[in-house]
Amino acid sequence: MEANQEQVQDRVKRGTIHEGPKNHIIAFVISIFLTLLAFMAVANTALDATFIKIFIVILAIFQAVIQLAFWMHMKDRGHFFQILFLATGTFVAITAFIMAIYWVWW
Amino acid sequence: MAHSVKKYRGLMDWITTVDHKKIGILYFAAGGLFFVIGGIEALLIRLQLMFPLGADGESWLLSGQTYNEIMTMHGTTMIFLAAMPLIFGLMNAVVPLQIGARDVAFPFLNSLGFWTFFFGGVLLNISWFTGTVPDIGWTAYAPLSGTEFSGTGSDYYAIGLQIAGIGTLVGGINFLVTIINMRAPGMTFMRMPLFTWTSFITSGIILFAFPALAVGLIYISFDRLFDANFFVTATGGNSVLWEHIFWIFGHPEVYILILPAFGAISEVLPTFARKRLFGYSSMVFATALIGFLSFMVWAHHMFTTGMGDIANALFGVATMLIAIPTGIKVFNWLFTIWGGKIRFTTAMLYATSFIPTFVMGGVTGVMLAIPPADFQFHDSYFVVAHFHYVIVGGIVLSLLAAVFYWWPKMFGRMLNETLGKWSFWLFFSGFHLTFFIQHFLGLWGMPRRVFTYLPNQGWDTANFVSTIGAFFMAAGVIVILINVIISIKGPKAPADPWDGRTLEWSIPSPSPEYNFKQLPLVRGLDAFWLEKMDGKKEMTPAEPLGPIHMPSPSILPFFMSLGLFIAGFGFMYRGYEFDSALINSLFGNDIIAILGLAITFVCMFLRSVYDDHGYHIEVEELQKEG
Ligand code: HEM
Ligand SMILES: [Cu+2]
Repeated sequence: MEANQEQVQDRVKRGTIHEGPKNHIIAFVISIFLTLLAFMAVANTALDATFIKIFIVILAIFQAVIQLAFWMHMKDRGHFFQILFLATGTFVAITAFIMAIYWVWW
Repeated sequence: MAHSVKKYRGLMDWITTVDHKKIGILYFAAGGLFFVIGGIEALLIRLQLMFPLGADGESWLLSGQTYNEIMTMHGTTMIFLAAMPLIFGLMNAVVPLQIGARDVAFPFLNSLGFWTFFFGGVLLNISWFTGTVPDIGWTAYAPLSGTEFSGTGSDYYAIGLQIAGIGTLVGGINFLVTIINMRAPGMTFMRMPLFTWTSFITSGIILFAFPALAVGLIYISFDRLFDANFFVTATGGNSVLWEHIFWIFGHPEVYILILPAFGAISEVLPTFARKRLFGYSSMVFATALIGFLSFMVWAHHMFTTGMGDIANALFGVATMLIAIPTGIKVFNWLFTIWGGKIRFTTAMLYATSFIPTFVMGGVTGVMLAIPPADFQFHDSYFVVAHFHYVIVGGIVLSLLAAVFYWWPKMFGRMLNETLGKWSFWLFFSGFHLTFFIQHFLGLWGMPRRVFTYLPNQGWDTANFVSTIGAFFMAAGVIVILINVIISIKGPKAPADPWDGRTLEWSIPSPSPEYNFKQLPLVRGLDAFWLEKMDGKKEMTPAEPLGPIHMPSPSILPFFMSLGLFIAGFGFMYRGYEFDSALINSLFGNDIIAILGLAITFVCMFLRSVYDDHGYHIEVEELQKEG
């Protein structure tokens, strides 16, 4: 029975069988929660504007990671190349941005 | 169970094919055609500049407007419609065979990529017949490309390239997935032949660079067709923004072109020197590094835009960094042929002559990367000389090497070596005659993109010499075309005519539609060579003989692209004032655009709902073919 459990875990990670709804429900709840937080932050007039900006950008990063990991399956095995290309693309875009803003100030 | 599949013949076969080898041939045919068109345009340019402005103040051949059109179409055609498809043709013909795959990852997309490129190219060239040809240079700088300064020709540029660009992006993604997923057993990344490696990195650059072009072209189209104002200064736009977007795409683009050329050279040299490639892993590393750096240097095209000293200095230094991995490659090639048993076949002649020629282009590149010097060089013939050395001396020479090398595998016929050598000497001497002197023309002050010049400024003889060189190049190309035509009846090619090292030479020429009857087991770099050294004649199979799954041909990609093509015209002419009221009521509205998009979407819908599982080639059939 114990070994069987392990086998199932393994096949889930490889994506050959479906893992079931648990993780998706958790991810969904977290996503909604992060969105709510963002809305509450911008609606709250008492907060400092700069703080809000930084705060929601951080929330957005978390949001993106969760979406990619759970819904786009980046957490599962066999997604090395997807992650590699996402990371390279992000890196290229960010460097180009930084170069454009700090080197080339038109 | 073998279920029957519809097999087409003749023209229908070519339009519906999803076989990467046939698509490769289609790319070659279309790219070759556009290469000839672009070549004729080049000859016209050189003819016009052969003589200075006459004493009567009359230009002897072309008007300024016509010259601008021909010059623009020459550059655009050569980069997007000749060099790119020829490279994709090579990748299609070679990469799946080199990694021991039966096909690319997405055969349907492969066909779609070809047809969108083709229709984009046709759309661009139809401008010759409607009389409004792009006249804004291949870089289409704003505000020149805006409605204020240019006509419908600029729409042809923006929409034609947009459609062709879809094809390139699709093709790039297809090759990324193919190389990642379809390698034969044992073919690890560090055992991949260098042409496959460079195709891989090039596809990665395409993935990141072409979206920038697509966005830029959409901005231009919106500015022109829907009164947006991305680049219109009067309404708060920024015309320099276009230069940034274009070059963020444009510099990676030149490396998209040159990397597969490097790859081809790295295949030809070891084969004809009978030595393994020197410094394989450093070659891979250098390729990746070049691919990466190519995104960090775009502003070296804009030193004179007024970015400021700091930006100029930083981009200058970043640009010079690229010379380091490029230098690594050059030395590796030299060490590869050093002490080898060299056979100077036509392919080898082209490949060896590539090395010094490309180095000259690289050296002028580094000179241009010095901002204060570039203020002198910029927009002069020096720049023209630089990029023709890297593009013709680099890409075209290596493409020709690759064509002579892989032709037997693609077509099953040998090209004639004597004619090949004639073509080489004509082309090579013509090339240097044309472009070497242009460095000096630039230093003597001749500006770039001018349709004529006054006599007695010291430029007359040099321009005359340059034009003579162009005729030599044209003669070389004609000899190549003759060679191609007579090869139809030429000697049949053996499976391994050059004593090759990589997997494509282990299968018959031309390869059967399933490529490998049994997938090969790869035991190391230069997989086929290893087996030959062990005294074997063929690869060890990695699987038992079994039925082979094949994708079905499909006409949908053709119609999807045709739909985009029609929609392109619809968008261009929806706001146009035609002379005749009848034509106006037919074409001067949104109907054509909607119709075109509808065709494309219906095809996409059909593709989604209709499941086509392909078919199998059964074992008996495979055995029958021997
Ligand atoms: C060591 C490598 C290279 C360096 C340092 C370099 C540097 C430069 C610089 C600084 C310019 C701008 C000149 C000006 O407009 O004033 C330029 C232009 C150009 N380069 Fe290169 N380059 C290199 C390699 C290449 C390669 C490999 C290609 C093509 C395969 C290429 C194609 C071009 C083209 C097409 C232009 C002209 C663009 C235009 O204005 O229309 N370069 N290069
Ligand atoms: Cu550049």
